[in-house]
Amino acid sequence: MKKLLEGSQAVAEAVRLCRPQVVAAYPITPQTHIIERLAQHVADGELAAEFINAESEFGAASIVLGAVAAGARAFTATASQGLLLMTEVLYNIAGMRLPVVMVCANRAVGAPINIFSDHQDSMALRDAGWIQIYVESNQEAADSLIQAYRIAEVCELPVMVCMDGFFLTHTFEPVDLPSQAMVDGYLPAFRFARTLDPTQPMTLGGGSEADNYQEFRVAQHHTMENAQTVIEAFDADFGEQFGRTYGGLVQDYRLAGADTVLLGLGSLMGAVRDVVDRLRDQGQAVGALRLRCFRPFPAQALIEQLRAAQRIIVLEKAFSAGAGGIVAIELRAALQQAGITTTVDSVIGGLGGRDLTPEVIEAIIRGAKPDEHEATCRFAPDHIAPDNINSGEASHG
Amino acid sequence: MNMESKNEATLLDIRFHGRGGQGAVSAAALLALAAFDDGFEAQAFPRFGSERRGAPLEAYVRISNTAIRAHNQVYTPDAVVIQDASLLRSEPLLRGLKSGGLIVLNSEQPPDGFSEEGDGFRWLCLPASLIGERHLGRPLPNTVLLGALASATGWVSLSALEQAVTSHLERKGEEMVKANIAALREGYQFVAQEEEVAS
Repeated sequence: MKKLLEGSQAVAEAVRLCRPQVVAAYPITPQTHIIERLAQHVADGELAAEFINAESEFGAASIVLGAVAAGARAFTATASQGLLLMTEVLYNIAGMRLPVVMVCANRAVGAPINIFSDHQDSMALRDAGWIQIYVESNQEAADSLIQAYRIAEVCELPVMVCMDGFFLTHTFEPVDLPSQAMVDGYLPAFRFARTLDPTQPMTLGGGSEADNYQEFRVAQHHTMENAQTVIEAFDADFGEQFGRTYGGLVQDYRLAGADTVLLGLGSLMGAVRDVVDRLRDQGQAVGALRLRCFRPFPAQALIEQLRAAQRIIVLEKAFSAGAGGIVAIELRAALQQAGITTTVDSVIGGLGGRDLTPEVIEAIIRGAKPDEHEATCRFAPDHIAPDNINSGEASHG
Repeated sequence: MNMESKNEATLLDIRFHGRGGQGAVSAAALLALAAFDDGFEAQAFPRFGSERRGAPLEAYVRISNTAIRAHNQVYTPDAVVIQDASLLRSEPLLRGLKSGGLIVLNSEQPPDGFSEEGDGFRWLCLPASLIGERHLGRPLPNTVLLGALASATGWVSLSALEQAVTSHLERKGEEMVKANIAALREGYQFVAQEEEVAS
Protein backbone atom coordinates (compact mmCIF):
# COMPACT_ATOMS: atom_id res chain seq x y z
CA MET A 1 0.00 0.00 0.00
CA LYS A 2 1.30 3.45 -0.89
CA LYS A 3 2.02 5.89 1.90
CA LEU A 4 3.13 9.49 1.83
CA LEU A 5 6.61 9.28 3.33
CA GLU A 6 9.57 11.56 3.71
CA GLY A 7 12.47 10.23 1.62
CA SER A 8 14.62 9.59 4.66
CA GLN A 9 11.80 7.68 6.30
CA ALA A 10 11.19 5.58 3.19
CA VAL A 11 14.85 4.59 3.11
CA ALA A 12 14.92 3.88 6.85
CA GLU A 13 11.94 1.54 6.40
CA ALA A 14 13.69 -0.18 3.48
CA VAL A 15 16.82 -0.61 5.61
CA ARG A 16 14.74 -2.10 8.42
CA LEU A 17 13.17 -4.58 5.98
CA CYS A 18 16.69 -5.71 4.99
CA ARG A 19 17.34 -6.74 8.61
CA PRO A 20 20.76 -5.17 9.23
CA GLN A 21 22.46 -6.29 12.45
CA VAL A 22 24.62 -3.20 12.87
CA VAL A 23 23.85 0.45 12.12
CA ALA A 24 26.62 2.95 12.78
CA ALA A 25 26.62 6.70 12.17
CA TYR A 26 27.92 10.02 13.36
CA PRO A 27 24.88 12.08 14.40
CA ILE A 28 25.67 15.62 13.26
CA THR A 29 25.06 17.82 10.23
CA PRO A 30 25.46 16.60 7.57
CA GLN A 31 23.27 13.70 8.69
CA THR A 32 19.74 12.73 7.69
CA HIS A 33 16.52 11.52 9.26
CA ILE A 34 17.45 8.07 7.92
CA ILE A 35 19.71 7.51 10.90
CA GLU A 36 17.29 9.20 13.30
CA ARG A 37 14.50 6.83 12.20
CA LEU A 38 16.71 3.76 12.44
CA ALA A 39 17.81 4.76 15.94
CA GLN A 40 14.12 5.09 16.84
CA HIS A 41 13.37 1.64 15.38
CA VAL A 42 16.16 0.07 17.41
CA ALA A 43 15.04 1.90 20.59
CA ASP A 44 11.42 0.81 20.02
CA GLY A 45 12.47 -2.80 19.54
CA GLU A 46 11.30 -2.82 15.90
CA LEU A 47 14.75 -3.54 14.53
CA ALA A 48 17.00 -6.14 16.11
CA ALA A 49 20.23 -4.33 15.37
CA GLU A 50 23.01 -2.80 17.36
CA PHE A 51 22.93 0.98 16.85
CA ILE A 52 26.35 2.52 17.38
CA ASN A 53 26.89 6.27 17.66
CA ALA A 54 30.38 6.77 16.29
CA GLU A 55 32.82 9.51 17.27
CA SER A 56 33.15 10.63 13.65
CA GLU A 57 32.23 9.54 10.12
CA PHE A 58 35.66 7.94 9.96
CA GLY A 59 34.64 5.89 12.99
CA ALA A 60 31.20 5.05 11.57
CA ALA A 61 32.73 3.70 8.35
CA SER A 62 35.29 1.73 10.36
CA ILE A 63 32.53 0.18 12.49
CA VAL A 64 30.54 -1.06 9.48
CA LEU A 65 33.79 -2.35 7.96
CA GLY A 66 34.42 -4.44 11.06
CA ALA A 67 30.79 -5.53 11.37
CA VAL A 68 30.63 -6.87 7.82
CA ALA A 69 34.05 -8.53 8.15
CA ALA A 70 32.60 -10.34 11.17
CA GLY A 71 29.68 -11.54 9.05
CA ALA A 72 26.97 -9.03 9.98
CA ARG A 73 24.81 -7.09 7.54
CA ALA A 74 25.47 -3.42 8.26
CA PHE A 75 24.32 0.06 7.26
CA THR A 76 25.53 3.63 7.48
CA ALA A 77 24.60 6.95 5.90
CA THR A 78 26.29 10.29 5.52
CA ALA A 79 26.84 13.14 3.06
CA SER A 80 29.11 15.96 2.06
CA GLN A 81 32.07 16.55 4.42
CA GLY A 82 31.05 13.42 6.30
CA LEU A 83 31.57 11.32 3.19
CA LEU A 84 34.91 12.97 2.54
CA LEU A 85 36.00 12.19 6.09
CA MET A 86 35.11 8.52 5.43
CA THR A 87 37.24 8.43 2.29
CA GLU A 88 40.21 6.46 3.58
CA VAL A 89 37.96 3.81 5.13
CA LEU A 90 35.75 3.58 2.04
CA TYR A 91 38.79 2.65 -0.05
CA ASN A 92 39.66 -0.01 2.52
CA ILE A 93 36.13 -1.44 2.51
CA ALA A 94 36.28 -1.74 -1.28
CA GLY A 95 39.79 -3.17 -1.26
CA MET A 96 38.79 -5.82 1.28
CA ARG A 97 35.79 -6.52 -0.96
CA LEU A 98 33.31 -6.10 1.90
CA PRO A 99 29.63 -5.87 0.92
CA VAL A 100 28.81 -2.72 2.89
CA VAL A 101 25.73 -0.75 1.84
CA MET A 102 25.47 2.96 2.57
CA VAL A 103 23.34 5.90 1.54
CA CYS A 104 24.95 9.15 0.48
CA ALA A 105 22.38 11.94 0.86
CA ASN A 106 24.07 14.01 -1.82
CA ARG A 107 25.14 17.44 -0.68
CA ALA A 108 27.68 20.07 -1.68
CA VAL A 109 31.14 20.21 -0.12
CA GLY A 110 32.93 23.19 1.39
CA ALA A 111 34.35 25.73 1.11
CA PRO A 112 32.29 27.90 1.07
CA ILE A 113 30.07 26.18 3.66
CA ASN A 114 26.90 24.92 2.00
CA ILE A 115 24.55 22.24 3.28
CA PHE A 116 22.44 21.90 0.13
CA SER A 117 22.29 19.32 -2.58
CA ASP A 118 24.59 18.54 -5.47
CA HIS A 119 26.69 15.54 -6.50
CA GLN A 120 30.19 16.75 -5.67
CA ASP A 121 30.50 14.53 -2.59
CA SER A 122 29.85 11.09 -4.09
CA MET A 123 31.47 11.99 -7.41
CA ALA A 124 34.69 12.65 -5.50
CA LEU A 125 34.55 8.99 -4.40
CA ARG A 126 34.16 7.64 -7.93
CA ASP A 127 37.55 5.90 -7.89
CA ALA A 128 37.12 4.28 -4.46
CA GLY A 129 35.84 0.96 -5.80
CA TRP A 130 32.22 1.36 -4.72
CA ILE A 131 29.22 0.66 -6.92
CA GLN A 132 27.26 3.92 -7.16
CA ILE A 133 23.54 4.03 -7.93
CA TYR A 134 21.87 7.44 -8.35
CA VAL A 135 18.11 7.47 -7.76
CA GLU A 136 15.39 9.74 -9.11
CA SER A 137 12.58 9.32 -6.56
CA ASN A 138 12.00 8.17 -3.01
CA GLN A 139 10.37 5.00 -4.31
CA GLU A 140 13.51 4.24 -6.25
CA ALA A 141 15.66 5.09 -3.22
CA ALA A 142 13.84 2.52 -1.08
CA ASP A 143 13.78 -0.11 -3.82
CA SER A 144 17.44 0.44 -4.75
CA LEU A 145 18.47 0.05 -1.14
CA ILE A 146 16.94 -3.44 -1.13
CA GLN A 147 18.58 -4.24 -4.47
CA ALA A 148 21.88 -2.87 -3.15
CA TYR A 149 22.25 -5.48 -0.41
CA ARG A 150 21.70 -8.30 -2.88
CA ILE A 151 24.13 -6.81 -5.43
CA ALA A 152 26.75 -6.13 -2.75
CA GLU A 153 26.57 -9.58 -1.18
CA VAL A 154 26.66 -11.49 -4.47
CA CYS A 155 29.51 -9.41 -5.97
CA GLU A 156 31.38 -8.85 -2.69
CA LEU A 157 31.54 -5.17 -3.55
CA PRO A 158 30.29 -2.22 -1.49
CA VAL A 159 27.31 -0.22 -2.82
CA MET A 160 26.57 3.45 -2.31
CA VAL A 161 22.96 4.48 -2.98
CA CYS A 162 23.12 8.17 -3.87
CA MET A 163 19.95 10.19 -3.24
CA ASP A 164 19.71 13.95 -3.50
CA GLY A 165 19.79 15.71 -0.16
CA PHE A 166 16.64 17.79 0.50
CA PHE A 167 15.17 17.25 -3.00
CA LEU A 168 14.61 13.62 -1.98
CA THR A 169 15.66 13.12 1.65
CA HIS A 170 13.37 15.88 2.97
CA THR A 171 10.53 15.44 0.49
CA PHE A 172 7.26 13.73 1.32
CA GLU A 173 5.96 11.75 -1.64
CA PRO A 174 4.02 8.52 -2.21
CA VAL A 175 6.08 5.38 -1.61
CA ASP A 176 4.93 1.78 -1.79
CA LEU A 177 6.80 -0.13 0.90
CA PRO A 178 7.00 -3.87 0.34
CA SER A 179 6.11 -6.40 3.00
CA GLN A 180 8.75 -8.16 5.08
CA ALA A 181 7.87 -11.45 3.38
CA MET A 182 8.46 -9.98 -0.08
CA VAL A 183 11.84 -8.54 0.91
CA ASP A 184 12.82 -11.83 2.59
CA GLY A 185 11.88 -13.62 -0.64
CA TYR A 186 14.08 -11.30 -2.72
CA LEU A 187 17.05 -10.86 -0.40
CA PRO A 188 18.54 -14.05 1.07
CA ALA A 189 20.12 -13.98 4.54
CA PHE A 190 23.73 -12.73 4.51
CA ARG A 191 26.31 -15.52 4.52
CA PHE A 192 29.79 -14.03 4.16
CA ALA A 193 32.30 -16.59 2.88
CA ARG A 194 35.28 -14.78 4.40
CA THR A 195 33.85 -14.06 7.86
CA LEU A 196 36.55 -13.35 10.42
CA ASP A 197 36.51 -16.17 12.94
CA PRO A 198 38.95 -16.59 15.87
CA THR A 199 38.75 -20.37 15.53
CA GLN A 200 40.03 -20.15 11.95
CA PRO A 201 42.36 -17.13 11.97
CA MET A 202 42.75 -15.24 8.70
CA THR A 203 43.95 -11.80 7.66
CA LEU A 204 41.76 -9.33 5.77
CA GLY A 205 43.38 -6.44 3.94
CA GLY A 206 46.85 -7.39 5.12
CA GLY A 207 50.15 -6.42 3.49
CA SER A 208 50.59 -6.80 -0.23
CA GLU A 209 53.65 -5.73 -2.15
CA ALA A 210 54.56 -4.99 -5.71
CA ASP A 211 54.43 -8.65 -6.66
CA ASN A 212 50.68 -8.97 -6.10
CA TYR A 213 49.04 -5.64 -5.13
CA GLN A 214 48.16 -4.94 -8.74
CA GLU A 215 46.39 -8.31 -9.03
CA PHE A 216 44.03 -7.27 -6.24
CA ARG A 217 43.14 -4.16 -8.24
CA VAL A 218 42.76 -6.14 -11.48
CA ALA A 219 40.34 -8.52 -9.74
CA GLN A 220 38.45 -5.56 -8.27
CA HIS A 221 38.16 -3.96 -11.71
CA HIS A 222 36.92 -7.12 -13.40
CA THR A 223 34.39 -7.75 -10.64
CA MET A 224 33.14 -4.18 -11.01
CA GLU A 225 32.77 -4.61 -14.75
CA ASN A 226 30.95 -7.91 -14.30
CA ALA A 227 28.68 -6.31 -11.71
CA GLN A 228 26.89 -4.59 -14.59
CA THR A 229 25.09 -7.81 -15.50
CA VAL A 230 24.28 -8.46 -11.84
CA ILE A 231 22.82 -4.96 -11.38
CA GLU A 232 20.69 -5.41 -14.50
CA ALA A 233 19.57 -8.91 -13.53
CA PHE A 234 18.65 -7.98 -9.96
CA ASP A 235 16.71 -4.91 -11.10
CA ALA A 236 14.83 -7.08 -13.61
CA ASP A 237 14.15 -9.69 -10.92
CA PHE A 238 12.97 -6.92 -8.61
CA GLY A 239 10.59 -5.88 -11.38
CA GLU A 240 9.17 -9.39 -11.56
CA GLN A 241 8.69 -9.68 -7.81
CA PHE A 242 7.67 -6.13 -6.90
CA GLY A 243 6.34 -4.71 -10.19
CA ARG A 244 8.84 -1.85 -10.33
CA THR A 245 12.03 -1.63 -12.34
CA TYR A 246 14.45 1.19 -13.11
CA GLY A 247 16.26 0.16 -16.28
CA GLY A 248 19.14 -1.48 -14.43
CA LEU A 249 22.11 0.65 -15.48
CA VAL A 250 20.42 3.39 -17.51
CA GLN A 251 16.80 4.42 -17.91
CA ASP A 252 15.53 5.94 -21.13
CA TYR A 253 12.60 8.31 -21.54
CA ARG A 254 11.02 8.94 -24.95
CA LEU A 255 14.28 8.14 -26.75
CA ALA A 256 12.60 6.65 -29.82
CA GLY A 257 13.22 9.04 -32.70
CA ALA A 258 14.93 11.60 -30.46
CA ASP A 259 17.54 13.78 -32.21
CA THR A 260 18.49 15.58 -29.00
CA VAL A 261 19.12 13.55 -25.85
CA LEU A 262 19.60 15.04 -22.40
CA LEU A 263 21.54 12.77 -20.06
CA GLY A 264 21.61 13.30 -16.32
CA LEU A 265 21.54 11.72 -12.86
CA GLY A 266 19.26 11.77 -9.85
CA SER A 267 16.13 13.69 -8.93
CA LEU A 268 16.56 16.42 -11.54
CA MET A 269 15.42 13.89 -14.13
CA GLY A 270 11.80 14.29 -12.97
CA ALA A 271 11.79 17.89 -14.22
CA VAL A 272 13.65 16.73 -17.34
CA ARG A 273 10.81 14.29 -18.10
CA ASP A 274 8.30 17.13 -17.80
CA VAL A 275 10.40 19.28 -20.17
CA VAL A 276 10.74 16.41 -22.66
CA ASP A 277 6.95 16.00 -22.68
CA ARG A 278 6.45 19.72 -23.24
CA LEU A 279 8.97 19.91 -26.10
CA ARG A 280 7.60 16.73 -27.68
CA ASP A 281 4.14 18.35 -27.63
CA GLN A 282 5.70 21.23 -29.59
CA GLY A 283 7.03 18.78 -32.15
CA GLN A 284 10.66 18.71 -31.02
CA ALA A 285 12.41 15.34 -31.15
CA VAL A 286 13.83 15.39 -27.63
CA GLY A 287 14.42 12.47 -25.28
CA ALA A 288 16.18 11.77 -22.00
CA LEU A 289 18.52 9.18 -20.64
CA ARG A 290 19.13 8.74 -16.92
CA LEU A 291 22.47 7.38 -15.78
CA ARG A 292 21.35 5.27 -12.83
CA CYS A 293 24.55 3.34 -12.29
CA PHE A 294 27.63 5.56 -12.52
CA ARG A 295 30.07 2.96 -11.12
CA PRO A 296 30.65 0.61 -12.81
CA PHE A 297 30.43 2.96 -15.79
CA PRO A 298 27.97 1.37 -18.23
CA ALA A 299 29.75 2.41 -21.43
CA GLN A 300 28.09 -0.23 -23.60
CA ALA A 301 24.57 0.53 -22.39
CA LEU A 302 25.14 4.24 -22.98
CA ILE A 303 26.55 3.68 -26.47
CA GLU A 304 23.56 1.57 -27.46
CA GLN A 305 21.09 4.20 -26.26
CA LEU A 306 22.97 7.18 -27.71
CA ARG A 307 24.07 5.76 -31.07
CA ALA A 308 21.25 7.45 -32.99
CA ALA A 309 21.39 10.82 -31.21
CA GLN A 310 22.44 13.88 -33.21
CA ARG A 311 22.98 16.01 -30.15
CA ILE A 312 23.90 14.87 -26.64
CA ILE A 313 23.66 17.19 -23.64
CA VAL A 314 25.04 15.97 -20.31
CA LEU A 315 23.63 17.90 -17.36
CA GLU A 316 25.43 17.15 -14.12
CA LYS A 317 25.57 18.54 -10.59
CA ALA A 318 29.31 18.04 -10.08
CA PHE A 319 32.48 18.77 -11.97
CA SER A 320 36.21 18.48 -11.82
CA ALA A 321 37.59 22.01 -11.56
CA GLY A 322 39.91 22.63 -14.45
CA ALA A 323 38.66 19.63 -16.41
CA GLY A 324 34.85 19.91 -16.69
CA GLY A 325 31.86 17.63 -16.30
CA ILE A 326 32.90 14.23 -14.96
CA VAL A 327 30.19 12.17 -16.66
CA ALA A 328 30.65 14.11 -19.90
CA ILE A 329 34.40 13.39 -19.94
CA GLU A 330 33.79 9.66 -19.45
CA LEU A 331 30.99 9.60 -22.00
CA ARG A 332 33.14 11.35 -24.63
CA ALA A 333 35.82 8.68 -24.14
CA ALA A 334 33.29 5.84 -24.42
CA LEU A 335 31.70 7.25 -27.57
CA GLN A 336 35.07 7.84 -29.17
CA GLN A 337 36.07 4.21 -28.49
CA ALA A 338 32.88 3.15 -30.25
CA GLY A 339 33.62 5.38 -33.24
CA ILE A 340 30.69 7.71 -32.52
CA THR A 341 31.56 11.31 -33.33
CA THR A 342 28.51 13.08 -31.88
CA THR A 343 29.65 16.07 -29.85
CA VAL A 344 28.87 15.92 -26.14
CA ASP A 345 27.66 19.23 -24.75
CA SER A 346 28.68 19.32 -21.10
CA VAL A 347 26.54 21.49 -18.84
CA ILE A 348 27.15 21.94 -15.11
CA GLY A 349 24.36 23.18 -12.87
CA GLY A 350 22.47 22.79 -9.65
CA LEU A 351 25.56 23.32 -7.51
CA GLY A 352 25.06 24.04 -3.82
CA GLY A 353 21.29 23.47 -4.02
CA ARG A 354 20.55 25.81 -6.93
CA ASP A 355 17.25 24.66 -8.36
CA LEU A 356 17.37 23.31 -11.92
CA THR A 357 13.87 24.37 -12.88
CA PRO A 358 12.04 23.23 -16.01
CA GLU A 359 12.64 26.74 -17.43
CA VAL A 360 16.40 26.41 -16.90
CA ILE A 361 16.46 22.91 -18.39
CA GLU A 362 14.52 24.12 -21.42
CA ALA A 363 16.94 27.04 -21.84
CA ILE A 364 19.86 24.59 -21.75
CA ILE A 365 18.28 22.49 -24.50
CA ARG A 366 17.49 25.56 -26.59
CA GLY A 367 20.89 27.10 -25.83
CA ALA A 368 24.23 27.16 -27.63
CA LYS A 369 24.89 24.19 -29.85
CA PRO A 370 28.13 22.45 -28.90
CA ASP A 371 29.84 23.29 -32.17
CA GLU A 372 29.34 26.99 -31.44
CA HIS A 373 31.71 27.09 -28.49
CA GLU A 374 35.11 25.77 -27.66
CA ALA A 375 34.80 25.27 -23.93
CA THR A 376 35.04 21.83 -22.31
CA CYS A 377 31.88 22.63 -20.40
CA ARG A 378 29.40 25.42 -19.86
CA PHE A 379 27.38 26.35 -16.79
CA ALA A 380 23.61 26.36 -16.51
CA PRO A 381 21.93 29.77 -16.41
CA ASP A 382 20.68 31.00 -13.06
CA HIS A 383 16.99 30.90 -12.22
CA ILE A 384 14.71 31.88 -15.07
CA ALA A 385 11.31 33.16 -13.97
CA PRO A 386 8.26 31.61 -15.59
CA ASP A 387 6.47 34.05 -17.90
CA ASN A 388 4.65 37.05 -16.47
CA ILE A 389 4.93 36.32 -12.81
CA ASN A 390 4.27 38.74 -10.02
CA SER A 391 7.55 39.77 -8.38
CA GLY A 392 5.86 40.02 -4.98
CA GLU A 393 7.48 43.39 -4.37
CA ALA A 394 5.18 45.40 -6.63
CA SER A 395 4.01 48.67 -5.12
CA HIS A 396 3.90 47.47 -1.55
CA GLY A 397 5.89 49.50 0.94
CA MET B 1 -10.23 20.95 -5.93
CA ASN B 2 -13.24 18.71 -5.58
CA MET B 3 -13.48 15.13 -6.65
CA GLU B 4 -15.36 15.91 -9.88
CA SER B 5 -12.35 17.77 -11.21
CA LYS B 6 -10.24 14.62 -10.89
CA ASN B 7 -10.89 13.82 -14.52
CA GLU B 8 -8.93 16.77 -15.85
CA ALA B 9 -5.26 17.32 -15.09
CA THR B 10 -5.02 19.64 -12.11
CA LEU B 11 -1.95 20.76 -10.25
CA LEU B 12 -2.09 22.97 -7.20
CA ASP B 13 0.99 24.65 -5.73
CA ILE B 14 0.97 25.98 -2.18
CA ARG B 15 3.80 27.85 -0.48
CA PHE B 16 4.12 28.23 3.28
CA HIS B 17 6.09 31.07 4.87
CA GLY B 18 7.10 30.97 8.48
CA ARG B 19 10.00 31.41 10.84
CA GLY B 20 12.16 28.57 12.08
CA GLY B 21 10.31 26.95 14.99
CA GLN B 22 6.80 27.96 13.87
CA GLY B 23 6.20 24.68 12.11
CA ALA B 24 5.92 25.63 8.42
CA VAL B 25 7.57 22.33 7.53
CA SER B 26 5.05 20.35 9.57
CA ALA B 27 2.17 22.37 8.12
CA ALA B 28 3.27 21.51 4.58
CA ALA B 29 3.63 17.84 5.50
CA LEU B 30 0.16 17.78 7.10
CA LEU B 31 -1.47 19.36 4.06
CA ALA B 32 0.23 16.86 1.73
CA LEU B 33 -0.73 13.94 3.97
CA ALA B 34 -4.36 15.08 3.93
CA ALA B 35 -4.41 15.52 0.14
CA PHE B 36 -2.89 12.07 -0.28
CA ASP B 37 -5.49 10.64 2.08
CA ASP B 38 -8.16 12.29 -0.07
CA GLY B 39 -6.88 10.32 -3.05
CA PHE B 40 -4.57 12.80 -4.74
CA GLU B 41 -0.89 12.65 -5.55
CA ALA B 42 0.96 14.96 -3.19
CA GLN B 43 4.44 16.22 -2.45
CA ALA B 44 5.79 18.41 0.35
CA PHE B 45 9.23 19.69 1.13
CA PRO B 46 10.97 22.50 2.97
CA ARG B 47 13.54 24.98 1.89
CA PHE B 48 15.70 25.55 4.92
CA GLY B 49 18.47 27.89 5.51
CA SER B 50 20.89 26.30 7.91
CA GLU B 51 18.40 25.63 10.70
CA ARG B 52 17.98 28.70 12.89
CA ARG B 53 15.05 29.47 15.12
CA GLY B 54 13.32 32.64 13.95
CA ALA B 55 14.87 32.76 10.49
CA PRO B 56 12.48 32.99 7.53
CA LEU B 57 11.82 29.67 5.85
CA GLU B 58 9.59 28.30 3.15
CA ALA B 59 7.91 24.97 2.56
CA TYR B 60 6.11 23.76 -0.52
CA VAL B 61 3.19 21.49 -1.33
CA ARG B 62 2.04 20.15 -4.67
CA ILE B 63 -1.33 18.46 -5.05
CA SER B 64 -2.16 16.78 -8.33
CA ASN B 65 -4.34 14.10 -9.84
CA THR B 66 -1.42 12.81 -11.89
CA ALA B 67 1.99 11.59 -10.69
CA ILE B 68 4.31 14.42 -9.60
CA ARG B 69 7.77 13.94 -11.09
CA ALA B 70 9.52 17.30 -10.68
CA HIS B 71 11.29 18.05 -7.40
CA ASN B 72 11.61 21.79 -7.92
CA GLN B 73 10.63 24.54 -5.54
CA VAL B 74 7.28 26.26 -6.02
CA TYR B 75 7.55 29.55 -7.93
CA THR B 76 3.97 30.24 -9.04
CA PRO B 77 1.74 29.22 -6.11
CA ASP B 78 -2.04 29.08 -6.17
CA ALA B 79 -1.97 30.01 -2.49
CA VAL B 80 0.50 31.26 0.08
CA VAL B 81 0.07 30.61 3.79
CA ILE B 82 1.82 33.18 5.97
CA GLN B 83 2.39 32.17 9.58
CA ASP B 84 3.98 35.45 10.62
CA ALA B 85 2.67 38.73 9.20
CA SER B 86 5.93 40.51 10.03
CA LEU B 87 7.56 38.54 7.23
CA LEU B 88 5.54 40.59 4.72
CA ARG B 89 7.77 43.53 5.53
CA SER B 90 11.08 41.76 4.86
CA GLU B 91 10.39 39.04 2.29
CA PRO B 92 8.70 39.10 -1.12
CA LEU B 93 6.11 36.60 0.06
CA LEU B 94 3.65 37.20 -2.76
CA ARG B 95 6.16 36.63 -5.55
CA GLY B 96 4.81 34.47 -8.30
CA LEU B 97 1.36 34.20 -6.69
CA LYS B 98 -1.11 33.52 -9.47
CA SER B 99 -3.67 36.16 -10.31
CA GLY B 100 -6.70 35.56 -8.09
CA GLY B 101 -4.48 33.55 -5.76
CA LEU B 102 -5.28 33.06 -2.11
CA ILE B 103 -3.31 34.53 0.80
CA VAL B 104 -3.98 32.96 4.20
CA LEU B 105 -2.52 35.36 6.74
CA ASN B 106 -2.04 34.89 10.46
CA SER B 107 -3.27 38.36 11.40
CA GLU B 108 -6.60 40.08 11.99
CA GLN B 109 -5.95 42.26 8.98
CA PRO B 110 -3.22 42.79 6.41
CA PRO B 111 -0.50 45.25 7.43
CA ASP B 112 -0.70 48.80 6.02
CA GLY B 113 0.14 48.95 2.37
CA PHE B 114 -1.07 45.43 1.64
CA SER B 115 -4.40 44.18 0.41
CA GLU B 116 -5.01 47.29 -1.60
CA GLU B 117 -8.27 47.52 -3.43
CA GLY B 118 -7.96 45.42 -6.56
CA ASP B 119 -4.59 43.80 -5.95
CA GLY B 120 -6.08 40.77 -7.63
CA PHE B 121 -5.57 38.46 -4.67
CA ARG B 122 -7.95 36.95 -2.20
CA TRP B 123 -6.96 37.78 1.39
CA LEU B 124 -8.03 35.52 4.20
CA CYS B 125 -6.95 36.95 7.55
CA LEU B 126 -7.47 35.31 10.91
CA PRO B 127 -5.82 35.56 14.35
CA ALA B 128 -4.42 32.04 14.16
CA SER B 129 -1.82 32.49 16.92
CA LEU B 130 -4.49 33.66 19.38
CA ILE B 131 -6.77 30.78 18.46
CA GLY B 132 -3.84 28.37 18.62
CA GLU B 133 -2.81 29.64 22.04
CA ARG B 134 -6.28 29.03 23.42
CA HIS B 135 -6.16 25.38 22.40
CA LEU B 136 -2.47 24.56 22.70
CA GLY B 137 -1.25 26.88 25.43
CA ARG B 138 1.31 28.29 23.02
CA PRO B 139 0.76 30.70 20.11
CA LEU B 140 1.12 28.06 17.39
CA PRO B 141 -0.88 29.05 14.29
CA ASN B 142 -0.30 25.93 12.19
CA THR B 143 -3.38 23.78 12.43
CA VAL B 144 -5.66 26.83 12.64
CA LEU B 145 -4.32 28.10 9.30
CA LEU B 146 -4.66 24.66 7.72
CA GLY B 147 -8.31 24.49 8.79
CA ALA B 148 -8.90 27.92 7.27
CA LEU B 149 -7.15 26.97 4.03
CA ALA B 150 -9.20 23.78 3.72
CA SER B 151 -12.44 25.62 4.44
CA ALA B 152 -11.73 28.45 1.98
CA THR B 153 -10.60 26.24 -0.91
CA GLY B 154 -12.05 22.76 -0.49
CA TRP B 155 -8.72 21.42 -1.73
CA VAL B 156 -8.55 18.94 1.14
CA SER B 157 -11.25 17.64 3.43
CA LEU B 158 -11.45 18.43 7.13
CA SER B 159 -11.62 14.72 7.93
CA ALA B 160 -8.38 14.04 5.99
CA LEU B 161 -6.66 16.89 7.85
CA GLU B 162 -7.85 15.46 11.16
CA GLN B 163 -6.48 12.09 10.14
CA ALA B 164 -3.14 13.67 9.16
CA VAL B 165 -2.89 15.52 12.49
CA THR B 166 -3.69 12.32 14.35
CA SER B 167 -1.05 10.22 12.63
CA HIS B 168 1.59 12.98 12.51
CA LEU B 169 1.30 13.85 16.22
CA GLU B 170 0.63 10.33 17.47
CA ARG B 171 3.96 10.12 19.28
CA LYS B 172 3.29 13.36 21.14
CA GLY B 173 0.28 11.94 22.93
CA GLU B 174 -3.50 12.02 22.86
CA GLU B 175 -3.80 15.46 24.51
CA MET B 176 -1.67 17.07 21.82
CA VAL B 177 -3.70 15.41 19.06
CA LYS B 178 -7.00 16.51 20.61
CA ALA B 179 -5.88 20.11 21.11
CA ASN B 180 -4.61 20.38 17.54
CA ILE B 181 -7.80 18.94 16.11
CA ALA B 182 -9.80 21.48 18.11
CA ALA B 183 -7.59 24.28 16.72
CA LEU B 184 -7.96 22.87 13.21
CA ARG B 185 -11.75 22.83 13.53
CA GLU B 186 -11.87 26.37 14.83
CA GLY B 187 -9.81 27.57 11.86
CA TYR B 188 -12.21 25.71 9.58
CA GLN B 189 -15.28 27.15 11.31
CA PHE B 190 -13.86 30.67 11.30
CA VAL B 191 -13.94 30.76 7.51
CA ALA B 192 -17.25 28.94 7.23
CA GLN B 193 -18.88 31.53 9.53
CA GLU B 194 -17.32 34.47 7.66
CA GLU B 195 -18.67 33.10 4.41
CA GLU B 196 -22.10 32.73 5.97
CA VAL B 197 -22.04 36.37 7.06
CA ALA B 198 -20.84 37.47 3.63
CA SER B 199 -23.69 35.65 1.87
